[in-house]
Amino acid sequence: MKFSVNWLREFVELPKNPEEIAELLTRAGIETKNIETRGANIDKVIVSLITASSRHPNADRLTVCEVDDGSGTKRQIVCGATNYKVGDKVPLALPGAKLPNGTEIRKSKLRGVESEGMLCSPIELGLGEDASGLLILSPDAKIGAPIGDLFPADTILDVEITPNRGDLLSHFGLAREIAALSGKKLKSMPRDANIEIKKSGVTIAATRECPFFSARKIANVKVRPSPQWLRANIESVGIRSINNIVDISNFVMLELGQPTHAFDADKLTGGINVRFARAGEKFLALDGKTYSLTPDNVVVADQERAVGIAGVMGGEESGVTETTTNILLESAYFLPASVRRIARNLNLPSDASYRFERGVDPDMVLRASQRATELIREIAGGTPAKEIRTAGKLPANPADVSLSYEKCNHVVGVAIKPKTVDEILTHFGLKKTKSTSKGGTWKIPSYRQDLQRDVDLIEEVVRAYGAEKIPGTDRSRSSSSTAADRSHDLESSLRDQLVARGLLEVRTSKLISRRAIALDEKVINLCNPLSEDHVALRPSLLPGLVSVLDRNVRAGVQRVAIFEIGRVFVPPTGNEERRLGLLVWGNVTSAPHWRLSEKQTTLEFFDLKGVIESLGIGNVSFRRVDRPDFALATEVLSDDRVIGFAGQLATARAAEIDVPGSIFFAELRADLVLETQASAKGFRDIERFPAVTRDIAMIVPEEIPHETILRTIEQPREPLLESVDLFDLFTEQIGAARKSLAYRLTYRDRSRTLTSEEVTEVHARIRERLKRELGVTLRE
Amino acid sequence: MNHPLEQLRDDALREIEAASDEQALEATRIKYLGKSGSISAWGEQMKTLGKEERPVVGRLLNETRNAVTVAIEKRAEILRSQKESVALAGIDISLPGVTVPSAYSGYCSIALTGYSGYLPLERGSRHPLTQMLQRSIQIFHRMGFSLADGPDIEDEWHCFDALNTPADHPARNEQDTFYLPDGRLLRTHTSTVQIRTMESAPPPIRVIAPGAAYRRDEIDATHSAQFHQIEGLYVDENVSVADLKGALEFFLRELFGSETEIQFRPHYFPFTEPSLEVYVRSKALKGGERWIELAGCGMVHPAVFEAVNTARGDKAYDPEKWSGYAFGLGMDRLAMILFDIPDIRLFAQNDLRFLKQFA
Repeated sequence: MKFSVNWLREFVELPKNPEEIAELLTRAGIETKNIETRGANIDKVIVSLITASSRHPNADRLTVCEVDDGSGTKRQIVCGATNYKVGDKVPLALPGAKLPNGTEIRKSKLRGVESEGMLCSPIELGLGEDASGLLILSPDAKIGAPIGDLFPADTILDVEITPNRGDLLSHFGLAREIAALSGKKLKSMPRDANIEIKKSGVTIAATRECPFFSARKIANVKVRPSPQWLRANIESVGIRSINNIVDISNFVMLELGQPTHAFDADKLTGGINVRFARAGEKFLALDGKTYSLTPDNVVVADQERAVGIAGVMGGEESGVTETTTNILLESAYFLPASVRRIARNLNLPSDASYRFERGVDPDMVLRASQRATELIREIAGGTPAKEIRTAGKLPANPADVSLSYEKCNHVVGVAIKPKTVDEILTHFGLKKTKSTSKGGTWKIPSYRQDLQRDVDLIEEVVRAYGAEKIPGTDRSRSSSSTAADRSHDLESSLRDQLVARGLLEVRTSKLISRRAIALDEKVINLCNPLSEDHVALRPSLLPGLVSVLDRNVRAGVQRVAIFEIGRVFVPPTGNEERRLGLLVWGNVTSAPHWRLSEKQTTLEFFDLKGVIESLGIGNVSFRRVDRPDFALATEVLSDDRVIGFAGQLATARAAEIDVPGSIFFAELRADLVLETQASAKGFRDIERFPAVTRDIAMIVPEEIPHETILRTIEQPREPLLESVDLFDLFTEQIGAARKSLAYRLTYRDRSRTLTSEEVTEVHARIRERLKRELGVTLRE
Repeated sequence: MNHPLEQLRDDALREIEAASDEQALEATRIKYLGKSGSISAWGEQMKTLGKEERPVVGRLLNETRNAVTVAIEKRAEILRSQKESVALAGIDISLPGVTVPSAYSGYCSIALTGYSGYLPLERGSRHPLTQMLQRSIQIFHRMGFSLADGPDIEDEWHCFDALNTPADHPARNEQDTFYLPDGRLLRTHTSTVQIRTMESAPPPIRVIAPGAAYRRDEIDATHSAQFHQIEGLYVDENVSVADLKGALEFFLRELFGSETEIQFRPHYFPFTEPSLEVYVRSKALKGGERWIELAGCGMVHPAVFEAVNTARGDKAYDPEKWSGYAFGLGMDRLAMILFDIPDIRLFAQNDLRFLKQFA
């Protein structure tokens, strides 16, 4: 909310420097977001009266005005605005004036017509953002008077009021807080209402939602533009001036925090009833829109129809207009939760609902009515009825709260003197009703409904005492590791392994775009997305990784080797699963290198497979499956358990993102990877005796896979065979549908040196087996 | 009775379905839709029809042409992907994976003395948010915090009600919350893990819970739909504001350096009382000459303990016996300050040039 420092000064003495006020408030948890200097104390800008206006002879968009500047001679001014009429009073910058934006005014000719000054808009005078036309002044402004008399210099504070502090949403309220924080006394208080109360003419059907309602009739008012001071006051904090009656209602709200509303009494039929709306009841609100109400909306109604939505907005048809002569002034207390629900359901937040839903001060309801009535009598004439008609009962004062000094010290963590605690609470308007050596019971003022428990009082103590005065203490303690700790540690090591292999970690959004879903159909959609970029929860890491690929290929990258470890949401329940996603694409290296073959090799399926194999998953294997969208698809298994998927994206799908070449993607269940990682580490004797290696080269039919050859070599098991490595594979120049493979076999005995004969014998057995079982042609 | 065009359409669709390769499909296309194809021929025939018949047949002809064209496109797509799969079917997936980049195979055959052949050519990197998170976790581990976790998809009770933000509370901002069709929502803060943790274990509790949270908010350089927080919760006997200050001061000075200035300003959160906001300022940080808001924190509100007790069905968290502090640190903000990153959106874009800066 915006606050005028001048206005605040009417209630409390303030430091001269606005920065100091902001600092005082900020330290107490009331953050000042912005400080703005206003006012038009500008030399040679005066009030003038437009006495005549005619079209500019040489320019369609300009007019030539004749104005009275109070000196007795008329001035001719060329003007571009259109929002005025003859008889309006407007600010005139005389030659020699220097405006806040730096413009210097001189006598000049505009399109051949002499102009002896300039008529000004609010923005040109630094009085607001409005640049749409001239600033129309109040009719009672004195011609020739300096503009500074109308707009005294002021500072506007934009203060963030937290939702628990509805009592600060007024100038009086904030001044009261400043007084409490700075130990100053309030200069003045809103007067007691002292009006005769009559319990008739108003009924309340919705008694829970509207505990109290008051209405006061004021006859024979004159509705007209507000006097300058009133306009300047409300406009300085961003409220548009409408007419004197509406402006007074807004002024009282800004001053005391209590919204009031004026009805045109002649447009009401019979007494007021606060009731629930009828299903489908239509209501034309002051914002010009028609709302269709439901029975849980509460309305202020006359005997025929709704004339206001309770605590939210008045009706257009019963509003005050220039022809209004008799008014009915409403001031009420509405249940905060009810107002919030109604304003939200109708999507109709207003200055009034903002205050009601945060809770207004019950003690201010009648005072505000009285204050508005006095202002109306003063400014708009009119005769207020002797009595005010009311129904219901104002909510009782908040219950007393007990506070022990010991508890206070425990929560704050530092001993604060009981006397200091008492002083702080007293400054905030609390009254000690029972005092003991250990603490006391405190009566809470009506405007502090937020103070309900001892911790609420302790917070007040902290705010006033100063959080900076509490020294930080060290309260460490040991804690056992949790399941989350263990999976974090394991995932960290997984991440390190992948980084060590040259992969880059990415973190993509868990909310995916509409475009990404076309690829991946089953997802959990958001009911209320804000943009097309975030419409659903990711069911897999694929869309995110593909979009990273897309972005980087567009940027001209030659190699993408990335991984992500993160949550996915498995439809239809949205079960949250942690997964490891891998994507490789492009060249083996991101740049050419002198020690690499000139022809860059591209990454392929076996690079992806190699990454997965390096993760240390126990007995990992791959099995072909069918999966739409993938040209090559395999399940990743550990023993017989499926732990994920690896494959090559179908070209059709790759084409959708316009990435050339093959894209390899794998997705594994992170928890299963961690579970199946061979974790048992332990010492084993280091081989002391030398190994002997022998190679086998063979030509085999293309369809015989490596794993079959390997199995044939390894089974039945030869005790001397230590390991088998495939070191060569080619298909050229050996005839169609055949391939040549070369394996290196390592033999060793852990307890002695092998003889050449022993090795030859075993090796020959294996060669024989290959020929017999697979029909391979061995090469010499 | 079927119109001859309908018969023609059915024949065409059958043949398209039967086309076993791209040539056969192309032949089918020419047969029906080519210049002198049998469907095209009907275009000529139209001219001979009477006024009444013409629009009816015209519409049918259009439908037929469209249906056949679409079917051909679909079939072509299937054939292309089949062809691709067939081409890849010959790949022996049982071959060993590459444990060093393929380029090395040609490379090692050159006699290179002393070269092990197992150094990766490319340097990998952890995402800057991960690095930030791991540094933070290390510090909190030193302070005796364990990790806790909770789901991203939450219910209203854990996200709002249990955190002393009942329906129609001004701080309960449904407008800024993403909802799922089943009425659940995406958590708007990681404070939900406070509730989850206390539901499942009695006091004392000393945990941090890093995780994602979501806000339905306009996206700009400092706001994103998904952001990251580190939630902290300490519940014990006689925990005080001073303990909270001590913990966060220690953490922030470990992270940003011992010269970091830290300020605690009173604030309001429904689930803590008193509530504070934490600001830091440090000349050692770029852009750190002004106060930057980093965290919200406070003493756990007794109403939160009471809600947990109700859910647990016991009095384990008796507010008269136990007290606690909670905090929520903005992880994205911490990383932005630490690495001098100007825009939060860079984290989710994952431009490799960005990621490599943190290798």
